[in-house]
Amino acid sequence: MFQPIGSPEAMLTVYFDNLPVTALPGETVASCLLRNGVTRFRTTPVSGAARMPFCMIGHCFECLVEIEGLGSRQACLTVVREGMQVATQAGPATIYRGANYDR
Amino acid sequence: MTAEPRPDPSAAGTGAMPRDADVIVIGAGPAGMSAAVELSAAGLSVIVLDMNASPGGQIYRAVEANLNEGASHGLANALGAAYSAGQPLVAQFRVQSNIDYRPNTVVWELRTDGTVGWQQAGRGGYLRARHVVLANGAMERPMPFPGWTLPGVMTAGAVQTLIKASRLKPSGRVVLAGTGPLLFLLADQLLKLAVRPALIARTDGLGDKLAALPRLRPAALPALAKGAGWMANLRRVGVRTVTSLTHLEAVGNERLREVVIKAAGKTMRLPCDLLIVHDGIIPSIDLAQGAGIAMEWRPDDASWRPVTDAHGLAKPVSGPSLSPGPNCVWLTGDARTIGGADAAAAHGMHVGQTIAASLGAVKSRHASHSSPAKRYAQAMAARPFIDAAFPPGRWSVELGDATIICRCEEITAAQIRSCAQQGVTDMDQLRGLLRCGMGPCQGRSCATAIARLLSREFDSPLPMPFRGRPPVRPVPLGVLAQLQSLDPDLSRSEALDDKPDASSRGGIDV
Repeated sequence: MFQPIGSPEAMLTVYFDNLPVTALPGETVASCLLRNGVTRFRTTPVSGAARMPFCMIGHCFECLVEIEGLGSRQACLTVVREGMQVATQAGPATIYRGANYDR
Repeated sequence: MTAEPRPDPSAAGTGAMPRDADVIVIGAGPAGMSAAVELSAAGLSVIVLDMNASPGGQIYRAVEANLNEGASHGLANALGAAYSAGQPLVAQFRVQSNIDYRPNTVVWELRTDGTVGWQQAGRGGYLRARHVVLANGAMERPMPFPGWTLPGVMTAGAVQTLIKASRLKPSGRVVLAGTGPLLFLLADQLLKLAVRPALIARTDGLGDKLAALPRLRPAALPALAKGAGWMANLRRVGVRTVTSLTHLEAVGNERLREVVIKAAGKTMRLPCDLLIVHDGIIPSIDLAQGAGIAMEWRPDDASWRPVTDAHGLAKPVSGPSLSPGPNCVWLTGDARTIGGADAAAAHGMHVGQTIAASLGAVKSRHASHSSPAKRYAQAMAARPFIDAAFPPGRWSVELGDATIICRCEEITAAQIRSCAQQGVTDMDQLRGLLRCGMGPCQGRSCATAIARLLSREFDSPLPMPFRGRPPVRPVPLGVLAQLQSLDPDLSRSEALDDKPDASSRGGIDV
């Protein structure tokens, strides 16, 4: 759905559902996942339908994911960090299980 | 200079809490940056809170990074002169020493007494100032259609954000649909990035342009010329364009597979990987509404806007106020009235000068050659033509019963109509019954469409938006538990043993 403009640049590694994905330093979690072809950021609490970012500027809340164990984080407003743990959010957010919880 | 926080007994509402700055500016787009620069140049202390990682707002997003090191990407060329024009203002903003700029900061509460609730990287609290300038910009007008929640459907602004901030461009079969200058600007930018849309389906047509002609003023001629240039380029490259779009549908299961388009009476289906929609932009009213600022419905623009005077001073709703004392919130830029970057920068400058004058601060720099109020009026003179040339297209098309209106809670037009037919006329009542507007987005995506459904059912003036209450954005419990600068008069800690004895009242013993 998306491809990089220009030559590849220095990349960080972020983990999405425990799998390593590449990220541009300074980009948001949302753009990192789109860069890697992710189209299912979360499933809705009502019907379980898949969703991905719609507005990319913090209004639509469709990009909600779990970041470092904390649910319902706006991926489009969160900047990536090396080694960051990101996970699909299934339905409503679950209670925080600690920064380095064992899945 | 009033950089030292000090209590100001003349202003009620903040009690004995010290002020953190003379002015807090919310948003670092053209309006917020201009206001902050003016205030700082007058010797006032300014805190600027912004959700993004770097100054520029959405229009000049990541302009420093893209212009400083981006020459090899061809991005500056693709984004055009209107984007590069933001660099001087960002540079001016960066050099002001009195500006305490706090990026990646989300504001979740605003009060008319000058209190602002913020959170950043797992911390949060309150800040207080003598004045607050709300410059939180605009959002794209949500225009529901069947399948608009499918992955693969995004707004034009979202795609622009990916281009500017992440150097990503669309790939595969791309379709653009809707109306407004941004749709055509994006199409032009895509061509420059070697992305060729399969189709552009427009709701606006020649009739709208002819109807807009009487509103054409000399000030609109540059915009008109720019638009004509985009169109000519699209035609030259041979991008297929259809007008008078009346029906749009995204089809797919886990993600978008094809789009169905009905334009000028003809229906077509085409395979599609990315459907980019845009239907104009409207003020972002979340914080103003949460602060209790009055809202005015603009039927021609199908949107609400906060009520302000010409200087931008907000007018709170009549009746009991949410916070005591006089209002000290000002609105500027697209958050006040859609006018684009030049109008926003001029008005922000005007608000900054007005506040500085009211605080008795004198600007140390030489005065600019033309007054910001005059520059604002010039920039706005083009708007009546642009607004008439790009009316909110599918707004007048009936919403299908099965179309999801509230994306968060997946509530359909049929459910809302059914409530309306049972006599629900009020948005808040509807929210209580259906949960629309109670999801994470807090009604940002559904409010205008619900207003439209209710008004159709009752053939009445449009209702007021959902009542907004802080926090207007979710705050993690861990942040709430450790809020900084709480007002001691308004907060207290209670230990568990302070609780009334539940068993003595026949409650459940825990």
